[in-house]
Amino acid sequence: MNLAFTLNGRPCATQAPDHWTVLDLLRDGLSLMGTKYGCGEGVCGTCTVLADGRPIRACLVLAAHVRGRALVTVEGLESDERLDPLQTAFAERGAAQCGFCTPGIMLAAKALLLENPAPTEHEVREALSGNLCRCTGYTKIVEAVLAAAPGTR
Amino acid sequence: MRLHPFGLVEPESLSEALDAVTRLDGEARLVAGGTALVPMIRLGLVKPDRLVSLQRVPVLAEIRKDGPALELGAMATHADIERSRAVRDGWPLLREAVRRVATPAIRTSGTIGGNLAYAEAASDPAPALMCHDAEVRVAGPHGGRTVPISRFFRGFYEAALEPGEIVTAVRVPPPPVGARGGYIKFTSRSAEDKPLVGVAALITLDSSGRCTDIRIALGGAAPTPIRAAAAERTVRGEALTDAVARAAAEAAARDAEPLSDLMGSAEYRREMIRVWVRRLLTALRDGTR
Repeated sequence: MNLAFTLNGRPCATQAPDHWTVLDLLRDGLSLMGTKYGCGEGVCGTCTVLADGRPIRACLVLAAHVRGRALVTVEGLESDERLDPLQTAFAERGAAQCGFCTPGIMLAAKALLLENPAPTEHEVREALSGNLCRCTGYTKIVEAVLAAAPGTR
Repeated sequence: MRLHPFGLVEPESLSEALDAVTRLDGEARLVAGGTALVPMIRLGLVKPDRLVSLQRVPVLAEIRKDGPALELGAMATHADIERSRAVRDGWPLLREAVRRVATPAIRTSGTIGGNLAYAEAASDPAPALMCHDAEVRVAGPHGGRTVPISRFFRGFYEAALEPGEIVTAVRVPPPPVGARGGYIKFTSRSAEDKPLVGVAALITLDSSGRCTDIRIALGGAAPTPIRAAAAERTVRGEALTDAVARAAAEAAARDAEPLSDLMGSAEYRREMIRVWVRRLLTALRDGTR
């Protein structure tokens, strides 16, 4: 099937088999390897990307269902070779260890900050409730998201 | 890991969608957000030859007031319902329930029609909709019909839908004037899990504290979501004392037919129904939630 959508700010027209998910499309169709395959069942959150500013599970959403939408992956967080404040905060605070969950966590956090520029710690934890990290214990991740929030910076 | 291959049909109207599901070549499944169906395909629990997507049928995603009632298009997502002004103003119990569905990313994609058609016992929205005496609108090859939600869940993962039928909307009457509502979701593993037990209630008390109207519904308490009729009878017409709340919780636990699964045993579920029905009723009485 034919697909046209916006990917990281640029128009993208491509083709994909009917049974592909957004994750298949990103990784195998478009060679964007930043979005990870974790559980494949929507539980772990590492494949989280944005569709029209809201978080989705790339492993659960059919590729056909993002037709006409604006997708953002971890590759699209930086602009004009400048890191997103979230990326800077994660790097400065050491909020990643193995890094496998990090792309999904950054996109889930981005969705929160787009809707709520000054979240409380509780709101950050709620927004990240669908993103599992097995290394860090979340403390530095939550601190980094709070540090990157435009309403509190 | 790829999904088992299927063909995708993307109708752009309800009549095209009805045609596509009733065509008889191989097994067809409807797909809305895919949050339930895609994992089932991934796990090999179903192997449809064809998916019929409802994403491009425009009228199905509307959320609107219709007279005093709320009309939720079947394709309205949990995130849409949570953010709807009408829902925020008039259906706070429903809003509280949809906000507890899984995680933010699942709520972006998962739909109210999909949630009901999946007919899972541990649905978060279903008990709230049961408290509202919601009605499910269904379209089929022989026309449309409306099913009271109390009769919509036929059995374990089985909705009262005939082959070829599509859930198109949910009609949600307003809560009784002055009613207080709440939803408690108890999870045994992690906060975003499915409810081990979910308790929704809408309760109306008169100025003397006597209960004039009560609706209690449970998720995870039986093979389907259920109304706790015996518990309601215990409270209706009575002052909601601690003793009455306890008796209602006992009645709810006695009436429940919980199943055992990885989240907890039937016995544990029954005990948690006893605990959480009592806590929700007293919290609503005391205005502490």
